[in-house]
Amino acid sequence: MTPHTLNASRISAGYGDAEILHGLDLAVPPGRITVIVGANACGKSTLLRAMSRLLSPKGGQVLLDGKSIHHTPPRELARTLGLLPQSPIAPEGITVADLVSRGRHPHQTLFSRWTKRDDEAVAAALDATQTAELAERPMDELSGGQRQRVWIAMALAQQTDILLLDEPTTFLDISHQVEVLDLLTDLNRERGTTVVMVLHDLNLAARYADFLVAMRDGRVEVTGAPEKVLTQAMVRHVFGLASQIMTDPVSGRPIMLPVGRHHLTAPETEPQRKEQRG
Amino acid sequence: MTMPSPTVALIASGRQRSLQRHRLVIAVLLAIIAALFVLTLSLGQSSTPLGDVARVLTGEKIAGASFTVGQLRLPRALLSLLAGLSFGLGGVAFQTMLRNPLASPDIIGITSGASAAAVFAIVVLAMKGPSVSVLAVAAGLGVAVLVYGLSFRNGVAGTRLILVGIGVSAMLESVIAYILSTAPSWTLQEAMRWLTGSVNGAQLSQALPLLLALIAFGGLLLSRARDLDALRMGDDMAAALGVRISTTRMVVIVAAVGIIASATAVTGPIAFVAFLSGPIAACIVGASGSLLIPSALIGAILVLGGDYVGQFLLPSRYPVGVVTGALGAPYLIYLIIRVNRGGGSL
Repeated sequence: MTPHTLNASRISAGYGDAEILHGLDLAVPPGRITVIVGANACGKSTLLRAMSRLLSPKGGQVLLDGKSIHHTPPRELARTLGLLPQSPIAPEGITVADLVSRGRHPHQTLFSRWTKRDDEAVAAALDATQTAELAERPMDELSGGQRQRVWIAMALAQQTDILLLDEPTTFLDISHQVEVLDLLTDLNRERGTTVVMVLHDLNLAARYADFLVAMRDGRVEVTGAPEKVLTQAMVRHVFGLASQIMTDPVSGRPIMLPVGRHHLTAPETEPQRKEQRG
Repeated sequence: MTMPSPTVALIASGRQRSLQRHRLVIAVLLAIIAALFVLTLSLGQSSTPLGDVARVLTGEKIAGASFTVGQLRLPRALLSLLAGLSFGLGGVAFQTMLRNPLASPDIIGITSGASAAAVFAIVVLAMKGPSVSVLAVAAGLGVAVLVYGLSFRNGVAGTRLILVGIGVSAMLESVIAYILSTAPSWTLQEAMRWLTGSVNGAQLSQALPLLLALIAFGGLLLSRARDLDALRMGDDMAAALGVRISTTRMVVIVAAVGIIASATAVTGPIAFVAFLSGPIAACIVGASGSLLIPSALIGAILVLGGDYVGQFLLPSRYPVGVVTGALGAPYLIYLIIRVNRGGGSL
């Protein structure tokens, strides 16, 4: 599999008159897991939408293998670049197998019908996400975690080398969050799929990212390895929050402990409180 | 990757089963349509033996039967069939595109727009034939643009579009009533056509333009069936699968309005057929595959069956729209109650 390159070059984008991204640059490392973090409304989702052709940038361009995605036919783009939006809708009564099959849409045309390859792609996606035993079940009957795995299976059936996900762990309890992130890591390691996702939880972001992107007010502030990006200075700058950074004994990655106004025991946290207030 | 997995077999057999089911449903619906069609041709005020019906259809002259079957019943059955297919197809296209059963052309004013234009053309401008249809299609498109434009505020929200559409529809219906009331020579029969829809007085010459519109616009819709199906998962998901959202919307609106308005110009707004067909089809075939063809067939059954019931099975004769209206109204009330329970969001 040749690693595709995906670059955002000086993109400005927004909705109506409101500009949300202000001339943003981002080079997605091929074959790695990139996680975008930032405060609410900083433009994370807008960036994913702009990078996947859902939103036309007002300025700048998004380049896939050096070619503007807005000049690529959508069906062709959808065979290389997949996106799982934040709240996709499962048609009423649809079964798991049926939904996952819809991931094959960009591989089919009006006249080329369903083939054995499509069956294999759907089966592989179900196996990878351990949803094969749910294949005949209607989506409405599944738990939140199962449903999210099915949506990821659908994105996998699309067989794209790049997969963008907008908050794939929202509304999931912690065990399902870890399950989904492990699944995406498997996908990245076994197939070399480039994964780009928005996550809310900084600690899970630092644990699962090869490349961490911190955004603020429609701009990229810091990028790099989690050890380099997740610092006290970044957390204060991007989230306006005082914090302690330690090393996660489980993963060896950095872990962030927020410092609020209450429940402070360690004396060394005191100076930061004053600093924050002043 | 090439390891034979039991999941592949599972997927293939599951797909085969749902394909067979889909085919079976379509075959059964076709059989019902054929039965209703034959029933309409052979059994009315007087009954005609099936052999005579077949001979009339092949062009033989039979005293009596040639008139009742050839002149009265055949045009009526053909128009019912074509109008039903058109309403069923156009209705489900709108409902699927806007992901809301209330977003049917007969609820959001497109049918009343076409109907108002047809009445205006016939009563005020004394127009006839295909030019009435052309005007109706233009008016239907105009109403679609108007409703879309009035409900646009940072994108179109389904609820707003439906409420605006209901308002526009009420306005257009009062226009129809006004024009009818100013036309003294207008018979009650004809007035009913433009108020609830009817296939009374159907003529064979009306069938051809409707058939052509159905082939052209219906073909256009069917060519977009897969994209339309992808839209059911939300615009973002469809776009991520490579669907050109705005192009698909445009094609679907033009084709669905074209098909609905062409039928309306001939039969009037047959009440609730467009609104009912899609949900009934969804009930029968489930979520797998496109609803376009099953819904078109259900539409034909509703109109053929409704017209037969209205003519012969009720104490006095009613136009088809009265029967389909009686079926549709409870479903509309049910939907509105369900929507209100959900906190008013659609």
